[in-house]
Amino acid sequence: MKRKVLSALLAVAMTATLLVGCGNSDAGSTNQSTSTGSSKTDYKGTLSVMHFSTSEESQGNGGSDGFRTMISNWKSAHPDVTLEENVLANTDYKTQISTLAAANDLPDVFLLQGMNTIAWAEQGLILDMTNYIKESPYYDQYNTAYFTPFTTADGKIYGLPVLTGGTCTVIMYDKRVWGDSFPSTWADVEAKTAAIIADGKTPIAFGNNGQWQANSCFLSTLADRYTGPDWYLSMINKGGAAFTDSEFVAALAETQRLFTQTDIFNKDFNAISNEDAREYYISGDATAFIGGNWDVSYVGATLKDAGDDLYNNTGFAVLPQSADAKHQRNSQNIGLGYAVAINPKVADDPAKLQAALDFAYYVTGPDFSAFVAENYALGGLTEAPEVDWSKFDAWDVDFYNFSYVDTEACEIYDSYLSGAVWGVMNQDLQAMMNGTMSPEDVAAAAQEAYAENY
Amino acid sequence: MLTAIKPKKRVVAAYLAIPTILFIFSVFVPLITAFVNSFFEWKSGPNKTFNGLTNYITLLHDSTFWLSFKHNLFLVAVCIVGQIGIAFVLVLMINSKLVKLKGIHRTFGFFPSTIAAVSIGFIWKMIYDYNRGLLNWFLDKIGRADLQQVWLNNENLVMLLVAIPLVWQWIGYYMVILLSAISSIDTEILEVSELDGANAVQRAIYIVLPLIKNTLLVCITLCIAGNMKAFDNIYVMTSGGPGKASMVMAMYGYDVSFNQGNLGYGSTISIGIFVMSLLVIGGSKWLIGRLTKSKDA
Repeated sequence: MKRKVLSALLAVAMTATLLVGCGNSDAGSTNQSTSTGSSKTDYKGTLSVMHFSTSEESQGNGGSDGFRTMISNWKSAHPDVTLEENVLANTDYKTQISTLAAANDLPDVFLLQGMNTIAWAEQGLILDMTNYIKESPYYDQYNTAYFTPFTTADGKIYGLPVLTGGTCTVIMYDKRVWGDSFPSTWADVEAKTAAIIADGKTPIAFGNNGQWQANSCFLSTLADRYTGPDWYLSMINKGGAAFTDSEFVAALAETQRLFTQTDIFNKDFNAISNEDAREYYISGDATAFIGGNWDVSYVGATLKDAGDDLYNNTGFAVLPQSADAKHQRNSQNIGLGYAVAINPKVADDPAKLQAALDFAYYVTGPDFSAFVAENYALGGLTEAPEVDWSKFDAWDVDFYNFSYVDTEACEIYDSYLSGAVWGVMNQDLQAMMNGTMSPEDVAAAAQEAYAENY
Repeated sequence: MLTAIKPKKRVVAAYLAIPTILFIFSVFVPLITAFVNSFFEWKSGPNKTFNGLTNYITLLHDSTFWLSFKHNLFLVAVCIVGQIGIAFVLVLMINSKLVKLKGIHRTFGFFPSTIAAVSIGFIWKMIYDYNRGLLNWFLDKIGRADLQQVWLNNENLVMLLVAIPLVWQWIGYYMVILLSAISSIDTEILEVSELDGANAVQRAIYIVLPLIKNTLLVCITLCIAGNMKAFDNIYVMTSGGPGKASMVMAMYGYDVSFNQGNLGYGSTISIGIFVMSLLVIGGSKWLIGRLTKSKDA
């Protein structure tokens, strides 16, 4: 009898283990199906959507919060459409979406990263939306500059830019240490570092253990100061520019100098993430931090919740200018890195395509812009409505002005070209910032990857 | 009565088929698919173009792959000495008459190998942390703050630093295997050698080691196989960085396949890992076979 009970228990345990094993492959994702509200399209059935605005991500993050709210509104308005959402954290999303693309098994609607546009369009993985975008009820309100990363050389557009137009390179600094305005040249920053270090603090915190940070949140803006915007346009259009051009190499050399020969940054910048680095700023161990808009929303929410005085004393600044850089000194890389794209298979069913387009128009439309303007003082794809500033404090106003008013925009490098190029370059950048690889070698390897893959 | 509880052959075959099918599906199918894909140019989309041996020629000239292979060999070397070597010493210590609470030692020794490698990676990342890490704190406490550094950013040390958690994690595992082997040695042999005047070290080298030779071989094979596919804790701790300083083959294959979107070449790297692992395991078996044979003769 005992043996029977034992074997029954073992059998149950084994089955449970198997089931748990199966369940694990979906860990981290949420699958929700809802159908409420009133309908606008003829389509009845399911529409699969994949994105990375998780509920955790949306805490204090205007873009994610707005996107989730729009999805929920759309669901209520389309009771006949069952929206099958697959929501993953951003890193997992990138891995999974590229795997699904390789398997030709993309969901009906998903978020396309700028740098994948050309490769995926060539492979027929994304629907040419050029005409559909022109037919959009909100076409007149679109800020068309945001479409560039999702446009191929022949002028076809493959997605509706989504989420908020946010900067990828911003310095958040403690005004009590740096004064009301941050130094405008690296030389001025260097002049102040000794005193800050003597005070037991790190001048500027930065984290690059994910390897993409040095590219997205530093080089993309710093190199623009050396090369000017035309150089990168030429890279995008294969107009003859190369990573080995002397201006770009000079920008790499300056990056290397700043990280290896000055004490501006925390020593462990290559070993920690941007999330760790911003904690140095929040805790007061660092007097400034370089990151992107996602870091600003997190730091702001954290400092505000804690009632920290730093919240009222934080300023936002562009990267200081280098002595040998000749181009615009007030730039920061800003844009919409992702667009809502549609699987071409959806077009087989016109009603379904209509529903997918309606979804894409809505989540990127004026309702979204109004929501993020009203709640977060941020802008989206459509013209930003008047912001009611009475609802916001100095933090929001300052960041709004930094993002959209006081600075000039430059391109986010990795919204373009190819993951194969950035994969190689980001890895080498990390070694270069340790001083173990020369800027020339980094440029040569990146150029080789560019020639081979783009 | 006996025939009543003996299941029919068909039933036995059906039960055995379940794990066999699972095994074929999870091991052979991916291996064969990867092999087929390795002959294609397959970049970030469903379109594949047959390109013959191009990927393999690229692999032969790919300095990053061979650097990763060297790193894997380094891991294997550190782990054979660290995991099996230390496990052997610990087992002898536990087996000694002087040690009390043997069960507790065994349990705690085995405990780390039950933790997921990703968690181990996070734990050790915290130990190595520059500002708040245990290691730098300890150096500070013993008055050697001059030795403090950003450990995981030291390109010369980083491979050793990512190997230490692996050693720490798997010592207990090999301890259990070696314990069972040693306990099968007749205690009379050890007692006789003790009477003959052999000390503990001599007993370990001349009595215990030869008698557990086959188990040691199994341990070494397991250790090589485990470290040729090392990935999880390195992914968490350094992602192969700084630069490529802690890049291992599996990490490189993952990077090429998913970060660079080159699944065809990624498959070639996987086959490369498979072939190199077989060669290293086969080579080590042959080497050990030769060494032990010449000793016997």
